[in-house]
Amino acid sequence: MPVISLNYDYLERLVGTDRETLLSRLPMLGSDIERLEKDHVDVEFFPVRPDLFSTEGVAHAMRGFLGIETGLRDYPVRPSGMSFSVDPALGSIRPFLGSAVIRNLHLDPDAILSLMGLQEALHWAVGRGRGKVAIGVHDLDRVTPPFRYLAAPRDRSFVPLDFDRPMTMEQILTDHPKGVDYAHLVRDFPRFPLIVDSRDQVLSFPPIINGELTRVTERTRNILLDTTGTDLRAVMTAVKILCAALAETGATLETILIDGTPCPDLSPAVRVVQVKECAELLGIELTASGMATLLQRMRFGAGTDGKDRVRVQVPCYRADILHDWDIFEDVAIAYGYDRFEPALPPVFTIGHEHRVMKESAALRGIFTGLGYQEVMPFTLSSEAILFDRMRRPRSEEVLPVLHPISEDHTVVRTEILPLLLETLEVNRHRELPQRIFAVGDVVKGCHNERHAAAVSLHPAADYSEAYAHSDACAREMGLSFTMEDSSDPAFLEGRRARVVAGGRPVATFGEIHPDVLTAFGLEHPVAALEFVVTGAPGSRGRPGIPSPDGR
Amino acid sequence: MDLSLNEKRLLVALKGRKAVSVAEIAKELGATEEATLQYAHLCSGRGLAEVTREVRTRYTLTAEGKTYAAAGGLPERQLRDSFTGSIPVKDLQRHPMARIGIGWMKKKGWVSLEGGTVEKTGNAPRGPDEEALTAPDPSGEGAAMLAARGVLEPQETVMYRVGLTAAGKSLLESGLDLREEVGTLTREMIVSGVWKDLPLRRYRVDTPPRRVYPGKVHPYQVLMEEMRMILLEMGFTELYGDIVQSAFWNFDALFQPQDHPAREMQDTFYLGHTEPLPPGADRVREMHEKGGGIDSTGWGGTWNNGKAEQCVLRTHTTLLSIQHLALHPDPPVKAFAIGRVYRREAIDPTHLPEFEQLEGIVMDRGVNFRHLLGYLREFYTRMGFPEVRFRPGYFPYTEPSVEPEVYVEGLGWVELGGAGIFRKEVTAPWGIEHPVLAWGLGVSRVAMLRLGLRDLRELYRSDIGWIRDTPSAGFLAPDRARKPQE
Repeated sequence: MPVISLNYDYLERLVGTDRETLLSRLPMLGSDIERLEKDHVDVEFFPVRPDLFSTEGVAHAMRGFLGIETGLRDYPVRPSGMSFSVDPALGSIRPFLGSAVIRNLHLDPDAILSLMGLQEALHWAVGRGRGKVAIGVHDLDRVTPPFRYLAAPRDRSFVPLDFDRPMTMEQILTDHPKGVDYAHLVRDFPRFPLIVDSRDQVLSFPPIINGELTRVTERTRNILLDTTGTDLRAVMTAVKILCAALAETGATLETILIDGTPCPDLSPAVRVVQVKECAELLGIELTASGMATLLQRMRFGAGTDGKDRVRVQVPCYRADILHDWDIFEDVAIAYGYDRFEPALPPVFTIGHEHRVMKESAALRGIFTGLGYQEVMPFTLSSEAILFDRMRRPRSEEVLPVLHPISEDHTVVRTEILPLLLETLEVNRHRELPQRIFAVGDVVKGCHNERHAAAVSLHPAADYSEAYAHSDACAREMGLSFTMEDSSDPAFLEGRRARVVAGGRPVATFGEIHPDVLTAFGLEHPVAALEFVVTGAPGSRGRPGIPSPDGR
Repeated sequence: MDLSLNEKRLLVALKGRKAVSVAEIAKELGATEEATLQYAHLCSGRGLAEVTREVRTRYTLTAEGKTYAAAGGLPERQLRDSFTGSIPVKDLQRHPMARIGIGWMKKKGWVSLEGGTVEKTGNAPRGPDEEALTAPDPSGEGAAMLAARGVLEPQETVMYRVGLTAAGKSLLESGLDLREEVGTLTREMIVSGVWKDLPLRRYRVDTPPRRVYPGKVHPYQVLMEEMRMILLEMGFTELYGDIVQSAFWNFDALFQPQDHPAREMQDTFYLGHTEPLPPGADRVREMHEKGGGIDSTGWGGTWNNGKAEQCVLRTHTTLLSIQHLALHPDPPVKAFAIGRVYRREAIDPTHLPEFEQLEGIVMDRGVNFRHLLGYLREFYTRMGFPEVRFRPGYFPYTEPSVEPEVYVEGLGWVELGGAGIFRKEVTAPWGIEHPVLAWGLGVSRVAMLRLGLRDLRELYRSDIGWIRDTPSAGFLAPDRARKPQE
């Protein structure tokens, strides 16, 4: 989530209150205070509230939350008389454009930092790493309208930001740091997006880099904004949030015609919501006027519409309001989460254990009764551990993870036994005998299977021990079973067997093969067994879709 | 006093005597010296006897010394006895002891040497060193002289003596039962009743025992069982489901937009496998694209079937809740799950690629946000966190959302999970008409606080020593939540 640095002095100045009040109320507006520093505080806001990714946006919200200035802020916008055209050839490349003109800026260093932070956070939260939306900010006075957004040949050259010589757009992708970072977004297109002015001077190569020509400095007074992308709604959201933040600094906003349509449209969306529905969802008493007051503190425009309804004007920058319940959450925040009285409803239900969990608990009882200690190894493992070290052939039933993070975690386990041997390996320095077991899920194909496995490591561990314990376990599971020879290569020939119940093998046990022991660095014999619990005829638990009533 | 028979026999043997050497007593008792010394120390530990330790030096002849003794004297004596009056040096040098003896004769002043002739002087009285050659007295100067010449070698021996103390004497006066003690109580003794007349050997009850380790359930599992019990007691039905799930259930059914960062390869384990979409997927698509008839805007854009069909290792257990609700859309429903979930994270003390999550839902007519807070407070209190507070939160599938925090001594307010009311966009496609209160909890985080661990890896590494040393189920009191030790 984006972390925003809020400078105390700047925030105090914008809100008009002291830092103690701000710090105590910020969390209740919906933020995590990450770090308190001497001159600033680092705060994390939710990714769906990009309007709070700048000090100006936070100040605007806090003034409402603290009751200093409530209700919808009006954003007067007048036409700039400028225009922008969009090249239809961009349709399959990067079709959407948003823009605005901002005048009378006075950007002090605090404001520039805040603006840069906002741009970066928007790239992350709304732009999805610039793919969906990329933002450009330009010194308007260096260029001449009308502007054109076009699909340009890849060898078109200009001087990119932070460079002093012209480069072709292809060169930028390999030689400019930003080009290298974002090349994947455009590399495959025959032509590249480009923004130029009426004199064919380059403003920007979106979503990669701006031109040096329109660099914004403290002396910049008038700005041209551009947002380009693949999703119209997101492109417009980014423009609106930037305009709203810049308006907080005292700048004035102007529209620009994009293929004849004025942009930005900062008018609020209107929703009429039911007071009763909100009161019932939150469990509090509400009147229409009370609810409207609460919403005004969240900077909505709100007025009663009869006594049962509130007419809500949603500020243009609130991209997170999809549904009435999103508005109800703001009612709850304005009401104060700390003011809600927790209550338990009289919902009568009878609890049910899931069969698989019940059987697992029973198995824990059996193995602890036999003197085994439970361990809880990972379920992620590797084919080297599961098959190669176990002398077992690699299985078709294993589903490899596409992008593993380490070579030890490339698949979900298909058996538990190898993980237990690994656990013995890391416990070689511990006193013998060591008897450990695990009950848990393995994955065969796409589905869970619940297994229980146990190993016993000590100088006298042998087949008889594995046999006795498997026999005990099968009896305790209520199975009607027989024993038959096994060919599992993880065990010693002549010292391995299977438990068969209902015509299917439900367990394998025996003395672990010395080559397997050596592979796990073990020096004493190991008696081992592994049961399939969910496959066993005694089990009524089923994997897959949850069994609803547990029976 | 729990005297063993052997201790008693030792005391009896000492009766009326001064301190006696342990070797001597051992002979009388027919035991080894080592055993007897052990009895003596046991009696000494009880204040009944006193053991003293004496170190003695004894001299024995070296190989050289033995030849001198066999030949009847030190070289200089043998040499002096081999002639009378005087003798030319040349002749004396033929004597086998000449090489060592001539020098010593001169040193002791027994002879004079002039002009190649050796002449006796005086009568050469027998010195202490010569006495020591036949009978070495450890305290005499002769033995030390011979030891310096390498004729004798010193050997230290330790001797123990044991004698009765006043307490020992008075105990003996009061009388001791000297019958043979019985170690193992046999079936015959019990059945015949003779055990009543037998002196049963008494154990020293405070000697450290042989240490055994009971089989037991893993401390982390114990905590999860505790959580299960709490929820079962509160009337919740337990859910269990597959680890491998389609992105549809894991993300789309929970209204997570298809371009949400959490869905990317960097954060989620994808598998090279797809699952066909279940019935109802078209309603989910409608919801994502257009808001599906509940006056929501939806996310817009185009919802992609292929993205939803991809299989992932589940990133949360919340999908079990929506699967359950899809099957049971009618109220009331109370359900929970505790299960392993997967995130594509590199392993470090606070991050693991797999860990446990707890999930709970309540759906009924008229349940509301305050009830959600009520369930949260109830659950956390029962888990040992009585101080709970609530802050606004954000989760893609709930609205309103809340972040509960619990107070932990030494750590302050700690966030342990998230909660909220399922969005209508989540519930409407499945025909669910009433609010669904939902919460999730990082089970491993609770376990670390309760078990006092600083490193998440310790839960899964399964150090057998740690498991052996952690108290059993039922003894992990609910108020054990504490700051990890530095």
